[in-house]
Amino acid sequence: MQSDQSSGADSKLEVADEVDEAALASVMRTVPLGAAVLAGTTVALLVLGYLLIYTLVFIPRGTIG
Amino acid sequence: MSDTPHELQESRILRTELLWAFGVGIFVAASLSMIVFTALTIKINPPSNVERIDPKTLHLSGEFAEQNLGTTVFGDGTVIVRAIATQFMFVPQCIAVPANRRVTLRFASPDVLHGLLITGTNVNTMVVPGFVAQVHTEFTRTGDLLMPCHEFCGQGHSEMWATVQVLPADQFKPGPDGRVSCAQR
Repeated sequence: MQSDQSSGADSKLEVADEVDEAALASVMRTVPLGAAVLAGTTVALLVLGYLLIYTLVFIPRGTIG
Repeated sequence: MSDTPHELQESRILRTELLWAFGVGIFVAASLSMIVFTALTIKINPPSNVERIDPKTLHLSGEFAEQNLGTTVFGDGTVIVRAIATQFMFVPQCIAVPANRRVTLRFASPDVLHGLLITGTNVNTMVVPGFVAQVHTEFTRTGDLLMPCHEFCGQGHSEMWATVQVLPADQFKPGPDGRVSCAQR
């Protein structure tokens, strides 16, 4: 390394944040719930769309076989 | 011995995943039940007829000879439509069918791969040379429906279409030979 280049560790921005274990645990308690609500709402909307198309478009168009 | 926070977190994630898997299982079971229910009660199935026919001779004799094409009502009330999909037309060009009555559509191709759909209905099939494409359906609305070829079959593909004329029961009158053709306009 050239002497005129400084190490990244010298910069405050490059140093890892201090992690408060208690705060992390508190956040991680709510993250899975949020993910489940988001994924559940998305899938529920997809299922609702499928059911609406099935009952309001596909079935009235007549049987098939 | 009490669980560490890490183990508690792992068990919470596992519980969430199991709950999600349970929900997905319920959805898959409900979807399959609906398919089976509609198949048994209102006869909705994927068309799955496998029936071979010689494409070189289908126009010479048998059910796809010219005099047999179009709509025929049999003695027991069965309505069968036979049509040929060929480059670049359907024969016949207009098909008369009754509304709110089960109809069997049968198609064959003497040349290349064709396909068809009937607008506003669930009829949609490929017509593969060497096989009879068969679809059972019930038309719920009266009027003229477009039936285009939807499988590119050559330079004249875009000109290949026919009309399906869905007639109310009082206008669907078979002749003495059981044949029905499109109403004259």
